[in-house]
Amino acid sequence: MTVRRILRNPLAMLGLVVVFVATVAALLAEFVAPFPFDQVNFSEPLRPPSGTHIFGTDSIGRDQLSRAIFGLRASVTVGLLSVALSLAVGVPLGLLAGFYGFLDPLVSRLTDTALAFPFLVLAVGLAAILGPSLSTAVIAIGIAQIPAVVRVMRSETLRLRGMDFVAAAVAGGAGDATVLLRHILPNAVSALIVQATVAIPGAIIGEAVLSFLGLGVRPPTPSLGVMLADAQTFVRDGPWMAVFPGLTIVVLTLALNLLGDGLRDALDPRESRR
Amino acid sequence: MSRYVLRRVVESAVTLILATIVVFAGIRALPGDPARTLAGEESDPATLAAIRATYGLDEPLPVQYLRYVQKAATGDLGRSPRTGLPVAESIGHALPVTLQLAVFAIAIAVLMGIGTGVVAAVRRRRPAEWGANAIALLGLSVPNFWFGQMAILALAIAYPLLPASGFVSVFEDPVESFRHLLMPATVLGTGLAAIIMRQTRSAMLDALTADYVRTARAKGLSSAQVVLGHALRNSLIVVITVVGLQLGALISGAVVTEQLFVLPGFGKLTIDAVFTRDYPMIQGVVLVTATAYIVINLVVDLLYSVIDPRIRVGGPAL
Repeated sequence: MTVRRILRNPLAMLGLVVVFVATVAALLAEFVAPFPFDQVNFSEPLRPPSGTHIFGTDSIGRDQLSRAIFGLRASVTVGLLSVALSLAVGVPLGLLAGFYGFLDPLVSRLTDTALAFPFLVLAVGLAAILGPSLSTAVIAIGIAQIPAVVRVMRSETLRLRGMDFVAAAVAGGAGDATVLLRHILPNAVSALIVQATVAIPGAIIGEAVLSFLGLGVRPPTPSLGVMLADAQTFVRDGPWMAVFPGLTIVVLTLALNLLGDGLRDALDPRESRR
Repeated sequence: MSRYVLRRVVESAVTLILATIVVFAGIRALPGDPARTLAGEESDPATLAAIRATYGLDEPLPVQYLRYVQKAATGDLGRSPRTGLPVAESIGHALPVTLQLAVFAIAIAVLMGIGTGVVAAVRRRRPAEWGANAIALLGLSVPNFWFGQMAILALAIAYPLLPASGFVSVFEDPVESFRHLLMPATVLGTGLAAIIMRQTRSAMLDALTADYVRTARAKGLSSAQVVLGHALRNSLIVVITVVGLQLGALISGAVVTEQLFVLPGFGKLTIDAVFTRDYPMIQGVVLVTATAYIVINLVVDLLYSVIDPRIRVGGPAL
């Protein structure tokens, strides 16, 4: 049912195709990219887009399209890992806070505390302690997304806890662990998927921002944010250096948002009909 | 009323204490022994012990923590080894820049967000709604720093209309200040505008089908009166909530925007501090941001319990 609703939504399908192509390109970058990402060519610096270099070249003649394809790898890695991190921490906390009333104030204060550190301020602190790297980006973005996961999981647990089938399970002698893991968690999956569809594009933009500021992925590892940071110096002489990596991020996040909107409508038809 | 206020104040105080513990623990987690750093190369045990005693580093961690909080509460955030100035002073200089940028950005976001949101709700299933929705989707998908780069390319380089960098205070020269802040504030405000638009649209759709709006129409009020005076008024509470919730995103956005447009604000201070390993500055900035965030959120919560009395009766609106 859900699948059919998505298949019938052209915008969501377009999003799905773009996300699929981008992910495959990121995984198989070595085979897809026309040039190695670090191949320097001093005879062709700052070339505007052409047949051989579709996205142009940078100040030391590296092919921008190839760098963007390899950069997608960092985007996809950070997008998936940080959301996985936020789910791994947030889901258990939300389950416990929603199920055991006495834990609720404790978890609420913890999420409030996490929220008090805006994402970039948190990233700055972490970069100071851990040093800038891809893992710093994953941890900073992941932590920043935990409170939202806790809230979703907590409110789902509160809602499901009062339902008849849970009461029936309890009456049938199911222990707390069984109720939480076999009855409540599976029924909260669609809410968590919706949350993830918002979180992944956010994480991808987050990676670009951190790498742009020098707090995330560091050169020579290619990242779309690093490319945009490099472009800063050459805004006048090589504007394409700023245009194409940014467009790549926009197309990817736009596709993810379209897919996410479609998934949300398919999983929760009541909401979409308003 | 007073019970709700009391509960929110106590909750915020607990959060603030937890936040200071996190910042303090962060300082301790920094690589390296502070005493050894201060002593320099020649570090015989006697000198180290003396330094530890002077700075209280030999005391138990809880005592050190209390001392840290006590100093911070009186405005002593330490001294930056890079500039030699007190951290609190540098923050004091940078804050007005960020505040002016943020206020301008919020104003732009609220105007654009409410405007497009109302249009999308009123012109349901017409091109105007699709246009507004498309703009909102773009606002959510375009990273603001890239939008900023493109804005600089277009409006400062290709067609030099606005300055690409620099800051002029609104209190010195309002016109120049407007010219300098227009681009950064728009860049910072668009993401927020997209979120406000979506929320306004959905709140307006609810309101437009509500009984009180039908009553208003039935008693013969004009369309504009109904939409603006009744439906929109009740949708505004959502906007306040969104601005409150998005405050963290706004602070993060300001960091990037200031870096991009070379504005000497809080965000630039923060990033510069990381690259110069100015640890007291980083601690100060993180602590001040967290405190500000907690206090402003408390104010927002209390504010809308005044606007909408249902909130303080029903508990937190979740």
